[in-house]
Parts: sequence; C-alpha cells; structure tokens
Amino acid sequence: MTCLLCQRSLTTKLTLTWLLSWQPVARPVVCAACWQQFQPIALATACPQCGRAQPQRQVCRDCQRWDPQPAFHNVALFTYNEAMQAYFQHYKFQGDYRLRAVFQPVLQQRLTQLTADRVVVIPVTAATIGTRGFNQVTGWLGTGINDGILTVTKTVAQSQKDRQARLATQQPFGLVPGIELAGQRIVLVDDVYTTGRTMRHAAQLILENGANSVTGLTLAR
Amino acid sequence: MQPKDLYGRQLMLTATELATLPAGVQSRPGLTITATQIQCQRCGSILDRQTAQLPKNQFYCYQCLNLGRVSSLTPLYHIPEPNEFPQRPKLTWTGHLTVAQAACAADLQRAFAAHERHLLWAVTGAGKTEMLFPGLAWALQQGWRVAVASPRVDVCLELAPRLQAAFAGTTVAVLHGRQTAPYTYRQLTVCTTHQLLRFRAAFDVLVIDEVDAFPFAANQQLYYAVDHAVKPNGAVLYLTATPSAALLRQTRRGQLKLSYLPLRFHQHLLPTIQVTLLPKWWSVIVKGRLPAKLRRWLRAYATSGQRFLIFVPRIDQLAVVQAAIQRQFPTMRGQTVYSADPQRLDKVQQMRQEQVQYLITTTILERGVTFPGIDVLVLGADDPVFSTAALVQVAGRVGRSQQRPTGLVRFVSGSYTRAIKQAQRQIKLVNRKGRRLRHDVSTLPTVTDN
Repeated sequence: MTCLLCQRSLTTKLTLTWLLSWQPVARPVVCAACWQQFQPIALATACPQCGRAQPQRQVCRDCQRWDPQPAFHNVALFTYNEAMQAYFQHYKFQGDYRLRAVFQPVLQQRLTQLTADRVVVIPVTAATIGTRGFNQVTGWLGTGINDGILTVTKTVAQSQKDRQARLATQQPFGLVPGIELAGQRIVLVDDVYTTGRTMRHAAQLILENGANSVTGLTLAR
Repeated sequence: MQPKDLYGRQLMLTATELATLPAGVQSRPGLTITATQIQCQRCGSILDRQTAQLPKNQFYCYQCLNLGRVSSLTPLYHIPEPNEFPQRPKLTWTGHLTVAQAACAADLQRAFAAHERHLLWAVTGAGKTEMLFPGLAWALQQGWRVAVASPRVDVCLELAPRLQAAFAGTTVAVLHGRQTAPYTYRQLTVCTTHQLLRFRAAFDVLVIDEVDAFPFAANQQLYYAVDHAVKPNGAVLYLTATPSAALLRQTRRGQLKLSYLPLRFHQHLLPTIQVTLLPKWWSVIVKGRLPAKLRRWLRAYATSGQRFLIFVPRIDQLAVVQAAIQRQFPTMRGQTVYSADPQRLDKVQQMRQEQVQYLITTTILERGVTFPGIDVLVLGADDPVFSTAALVQVAGRVGRSQQRPTGLVRFVSGSYTRAIKQAQRQIKLVNRKGRRLRHDVSTLPTVTDN
C-alpha cells in the first residue's frame, strides 16, 4: 500500500487494542504527514452562514454582503489551503478518480450527522462528464454518476473566473420535472464554497420550489 | 491545430483543438479493454480493473496521469511521421576527437546506419556527447528525425545548449515537464524520457543518455516508451558509464551491440575510491561536531581553497551536516541542494561560477554535472540509496578537467557494503582496460600515472 497523495509506502501498526476489538482492519489511504496538511474547520467558531474558519463565531464579512437567507446555511469541513488546492488539482482537473477515497469517510460521516429528508448533489455539466467521466461530489458519496434532481446548463467554469465574474453568474440550475420538494429539509453537497454563488443559486432554486430549509455541505471553504 | 504538432506524436486533444483537426489524423483508443486485461496504449501499463474504474464502465490509466489522463472516454490522435525537414543541418562543432573517441564515434554511426540497438559504455568524463556528434550529423543529413533523451531533467538542460552549439544551423527542441514553452516540430529533439510517452513511431535515431539513472532504470513504462517512440526499424543507442546487469546480459545475448571506451578524454585514469570506516560519523555530526578525520580534511580544504562536493544519503541530513561544518569553519562558504529545492538550479550555478567553495547534496548531483577540479566526499556511503552505479558516478565527478585530471574521492562509511566493493572493483576494471588502451594506442600523448 502507498499513500494516494505522496506515493510513500504506508504501514499500519497493529495494536493489541485493535486485535482484541475484533474490528476489521481500517486501512488508511493517505499517510499521517499528508493528512496533517489539511486543516479541519472547528464548527464551534466557524461562520454560522458559510462555514468559514474564524477565531470567533460571528457572521463573516462575505456573508454580511449577501441578502439574508434564514432558511440556508453552509457547513464546511476543511479550509481551502495549498494542500486542498493540490488535492483538487489532482482529483478534479487531472481526473485521478482514486483520490475520492481520501475524503469519502469524513464526508459520509458528516452527512449522517445532518438531518435530511433528501440529499442533493450539485451536478457537473454534460461536457465535463464527457471528458472527466465522473462527478467529483458523487464520487465521495458513492457512485460518481451525475444523477440527482438538479440539471445544469453552464458556459464557463467558476474556477476560471475572478470574484466579480463569479458573483455576476446567472442561475445555471434547473429542476428535473416531477420532483416534489415541499416541506422537505434538503442537504446540498458541493466540493468548494468560494464566493457562495453556486451554492446560493442552487439553494434559492430549491427553496423557491417549496423546500423548508437547505443546509449546504462542502468539503472546503 | 497544425498537422506538424501531431507528426509522430500521440496526444489527447481538447475540444477547441478537435474543432480544427487537420486531415489525415489517425485516432485510436487510449486503453485496450478486454475481458481479462486493461492496458494503457500510451505507457503500456497493465491496469488493475478495480483501481482504473470510472463510473459507467469507463476506465482510466492511473500510471501516466502526470502527462494528462488517458481514458476510455477520449482517443489518442496521431499522424505518422513524414520526416518533413526541408533543410539538412550541418555539424558546426570544430573540436577534435581522440583516436579512441573517433573509433567509438565511427561505431555509433555504423550502428545508426544499420538500424541497430547499441550500447556505448564509456567511463564518466569520456566525452560521450562529443562522440555522438559525427553519427548525429550523418543521421540529420539523411533527413532522419533524431532525439536525445535522458531520465534526468538536469542532464537534458546541460545537453541541449551543447547540441544547439554543435548544430547551429537548426533549432533544437527541448521538452521536459517543467517547461512552459509550447511544443515545436524539429528534426533534433532533446527531452526527458517521460516525454517520449507522447511520441509514437517518430524517431529514426533515439539516443538514451544515462540509462542507468533513476527513474529510467527498472521502469517498465519508460522502456515501453522508448520502444514505441522510435520507428519500428529505427536505431536506439544507450549511453552509460555504469551499465546495469540487465543491459550487459543483453549484450552477451547479442540483442545489443557494445562499444567500449575505458579512458577519459584527457587520457587519465579514473580516481580511485578511498574508504574510511567511521561507524559513528552521524552521531558525532548530530551533536554539531565533526569526526577528527573529517575535520582534518576540511581544514586542509579551508586553507587551500580546494572546492568539493559532500554527498549525504538523505535530505534531512543536509542541514545538520552544514551546521556542523559552519560551526567549525565559519569562513568557508557552502550551500545545500536537493531535488525539490526551489533554488536548485541557482545554487548549482553558484557552484559552477565558483561563488561557493562546497555544496552538500543528495544523489541528485551524482551525474550529468561537471564542476572542474573538485574533490568528492561521501558521508554514509553504506546507505542503500548509494547503489554501485551511484557510487561510480559520484566518484566520476572528480578529475574531469584537463587542468586537474586527478582528485580525491573519499567515502565515509560504517562498513564495506557490497555496493562499495563493487564500485571499487568496477573502477579498477575500467582503469586496467584504460591503461591497456593507452598502451596500445601509441599515437596518444603518453601521461605518467601517479
């Protein structure tokens, strides 16, 4: 076994406690050194609206500029730092689908802690599916297929634009016909929350269709 | 997209490039998928079905990802090499080869003409690049496409200007992973061996410099790349100072012809290795002190101003060794350098320009670099990272200039490992053959050996 991120060999130490626990071997896919590069966000002090890491719990400056939307808030797991950027470079843009295993456990575990009637995944465009071959978010959640209740028509990827251009983006999402959302609590999953434009477009669409609340869940902020 | 960009290449294309696809382009699947096996058509790796799996029964190659992903979703595009070179470049190099070098050079040219696989075993500092010139010049005159590839980017960067100077009439294309300049179609290409994965039946002559170097040695992917980048009837030439057992086996079986040059260009023998057993060298240095012997040697360097390289096995030892030396000899100026060092090229340049007296380095400087008139010290020569080939190459950094053709190679080691003994034996063997050659060729200037 080698670490998925740095390709050094991985060794698992078998402890007596583990032996006596009768649990299956938990095989890590990344080494401790690589894992420490990712900075988890402390929930207690994060921004209550976008999930950004902060010293104190308060609404951050970015969120103060948005129109208030009481039925929506976002939770993020990790700070978007250099290690995370490198991870996305390899996973999303280079297309190394094996790397989904790095965050699969943490994301799935966090998802079970959120109460949801329905989990909705931000879709990727058909063109992206044609070349990349997978949806990076559903990769973490299980299938990697672009299924779900949202459709997307898109021109330029958000990652190609600056902040102003991102914020000026028009609603790219639509709803698959015949989906009933009334009164439901929705968890909306995406990879990165940067300006919040994508997330808020999707949340707005879902709330307009009668959902009770939308909780965003992103890997990075 | 220009047809020239695809001559002899195999590439994945973006949507915009596909819109302007020239005529005559061939496309073939990036992966061959059968019920039992998935193979990447670019790097030849046999892939594990589960690991290579994408959703919806698609697959991708996880072995050559760094060059852009090959998958079952997109094909590889290719135009057969037409050898479209209107001008035939001439050799503008005016230097002279020694008699022994000229004999080897003639061998190489013959091998190119006969489309053979050939191995040139020449000692470190024999002038391998110069020996290539007559053969390359002949091949270029035939209108052949030629590439000189090396596993190390440093070696490529040192080779490219020398080849450019030797063939001033043409432009040499340089390809490696760190460059930003776009690809250009040229008759003469210098590239890293990884870049060969992007070529398919392109070269009539393919020269692989330093075949025994990491990452080429024991890398099936790169051997596959060489086999497919060269035309089916093309010539392949391997250059090395330390051929692996596998290469030598091929020469014995007759699958590979061998030329042999055991003498350096200045007709001096290789410096021999002096081993000093100091089992506790590391525990002394960790405390910020230097073993007495080491201190004595360094004091001599401090007074004489003699420049030297210190090799250590691991990156984290660099700073510790430098701190110990700095403490004892604060006036000596030195640098540490390792593979991922952002200022790596800069520091090596400083050493070349004699701005620093010494460099402490890992095995990255073991080959392909020349600092005239240096001495070499290897600390922890018994570490497994120092293979026989690495040790011979390290020793070969010494005595490479006409002005100072000798020098000291000192190994500090805990024990005599097999690699050290084999390195000593190999140098002894080459020196014996070199002495005989020097004796035989009486026209060569005679030099007394001391």
